[in-house]
Amino acid sequence: MALLSFSETKKLFLKYKLPVLRAELFQFEKKALSFAKKIGFPVVLKIWSSNILHRTDIGGVRVGINNEKDFKKAFFDLQKIKNVEGIMVQKMGYGKQLFLGMKRDAQFGPVIAFGLGGIFVEVLKDVSFRICPISRIEAQKMIREIKGFPILKGQRGQDSINMETLIDLILKISKLSLKEKQIKEIDFNPAIADKKRILLADFKIII
Amino acid sequence: MNLDRIFNPQSIAIIGASSEKKSVGWGLMKNVLEGKSKRKIFAINPYRKKVLGIKCLPSVLSIKGPVDLAVVAVPVRVVQGVIKECCKKKVGGIIVISAGFAEVGESGKTLQEKIVDITKKAKIPLVGPNCLGIIRPLKELNASFAPLTPQAGGVAFISQSGALIDSVIDKAAHENYGFSSLVSYGNEADVDICDFLLWFKKDKETKVIAIYLEGLEDGRRFMKVAKEVSEEKPIVIIKAGKTEEGKKAVSTHTASLAGSHKIYSAAFAQSGVIEVDTIEDLLSVAKVLSENKKCKNGVGIITNGGGAGVLMTDYCAELGINIPKLDKKTIAKLQSLSSKHSVINRKNPLDLLGDAQPCRYELALEALLGQKDIYSIIVIQTLQIMTEVEKNAKIIIEKSKKYKNKPILTAFLGGTLSQKGIELLEKNHISNFSELKRASVALKSLIK
Repeated sequence: MALLSFSETKKLFLKYKLPVLRAELFQFEKKALSFAKKIGFPVVLKIWSSNILHRTDIGGVRVGINNEKDFKKAFFDLQKIKNVEGIMVQKMGYGKQLFLGMKRDAQFGPVIAFGLGGIFVEVLKDVSFRICPISRIEAQKMIREIKGFPILKGQRGQDSINMETLIDLILKISKLSLKEKQIKEIDFNPAIADKKRILLADFKIII
Repeated sequence: MNLDRIFNPQSIAIIGASSEKKSVGWGLMKNVLEGKSKRKIFAINPYRKKVLGIKCLPSVLSIKGPVDLAVVAVPVRVVQGVIKECCKKKVGGIIVISAGFAEVGESGKTLQEKIVDITKKAKIPLVGPNCLGIIRPLKELNASFAPLTPQAGGVAFISQSGALIDSVIDKAAHENYGFSSLVSYGNEADVDICDFLLWFKKDKETKVIAIYLEGLEDGRRFMKVAKEVSEEKPIVIIKAGKTEEGKKAVSTHTASLAGSHKIYSAAFAQSGVIEVDTIEDLLSVAKVLSENKKCKNGVGIITNGGGAGVLMTDYCAELGINIPKLDKKTIAKLQSLSSKHSVINRKNPLDLLGDAQPCRYELALEALLGQKDIYSIIVIQTLQIMTEVEKNAKIIIEKSKKYKNKPILTAFLGGTLSQKGIELLEKNHISNFSELKRASVALKSLIK
């Protein structure tokens, strides 16, 4: 079991038209910083290592970096972590955090999981499942099935996330999972959704 | 796979027939002989002359004429030889009762594979090994060593566990519960759950299929077949072994969250299979589905106990069952009821009060069944000194005949004093539940 490399992951996203929150991987601070300036602060820095699956647990993620000084310090700190292969610079995303995943089950083949993202997944385990291929109707059902659905619809005057985009994304992951048999597991957590679109902010693809 | 000669045999050979009481070979003979007027029965045992009055033959090859079904209950070490003889005889199908195969480990598994190789080459379907057998009450066919033959009914029960079937049969006999068939399929070395589902899809006696499942050999094939079958006949399932996950190293959240039972549940939902949590629900949901038409979402609750009505309302609401408000017409119909009893609420759930007489139930049923957006009724009866159980039951039976498209379920709560009424209801195909929640679960399965 290994993590799919950053470049392979990006290729896969392109192939299946998965929308991803703009991100690049860097070895050196200088280029990283100029990229950060180009996409504009605030940005997020994350370590990339094929051996480290849970980056947050070891302090490998820094969010809301607003200026050059903080950027340099964070970059320096993250580089010191063992086995780090590069630092990912990403634009800070705002919206509702979703969780999407896939597991290849020995009995049923690829199974898609959906729920509220971030730490909610671990704590509330409010997740629905469907076996691939998933029809549009089943995708709709699995979205409505989670207890947190009203949060996605928007409470107290908040906007609803774009449900059609979410259905499209689930169907794309279903298609990818059926075709790319070498992929064992996928975690997209979080994917960030607003009333217009959904972008994958964090991704782990296991081969 | 054609299972017709297994399910409709004109002749059966019991290989390993025995007169030794309490042995499997004796149990099988005793059970198949119940259908001796319907088909030829042969007893095979080279070491006996007679079993239960039937002359024993040394081998299936000594039988003159064809054999549709061979039931094998011999020690595991001689099974392979017996199977070869059955293939030579060109029997129509084989049930291997004997245990000691894949379930005991590698050597058993190898033996099982050898046997199936032989039967597959001969194109003879094999049920088992390590199973209880099959029963079809209406055909007087009991090719099993179950303790008794249950009544005939509309539910086909397919079970991966044999012992469980025995207990279900005993319980069913106690509750006048009927089956179209019972199948214990054991190790499913050849004929598998999908083959049975496809056979029961065609079977005219089977209205609903109930399954006790531990695991699947081919999950995706099951989904395909179950989807096809459930479009014609409801499938209700209970899955055992829900909590085994967690041994594997966990790499992603998805892997840790997607425990096997959740995946199974998703598979069931996606293929139109109704999943239940308990054996009691398995049986009651299957029965309700076999005796009632499916209906739209909307229940009228009639009760003579306020508390029970509130509980039922809670259970229904939790399951997403609508409890429509009573409309003006319905309330007008209830007027005569409330003029005499000013305290009677005119709401759904409708509380008829503890001293409710049968006439009050009748009026209430007539009023609520007449309302358009009430598509089903649950009648609750608690027991007071003035409660007339049998009369209430008769009224319910009458109304259910009048309003055929609106299922009525009952929850007569009680024991000894309610028994006669409950028996009357059951005899007239109205399902009664001794626990409120089970009635709501059963109703939920009826909603389109």
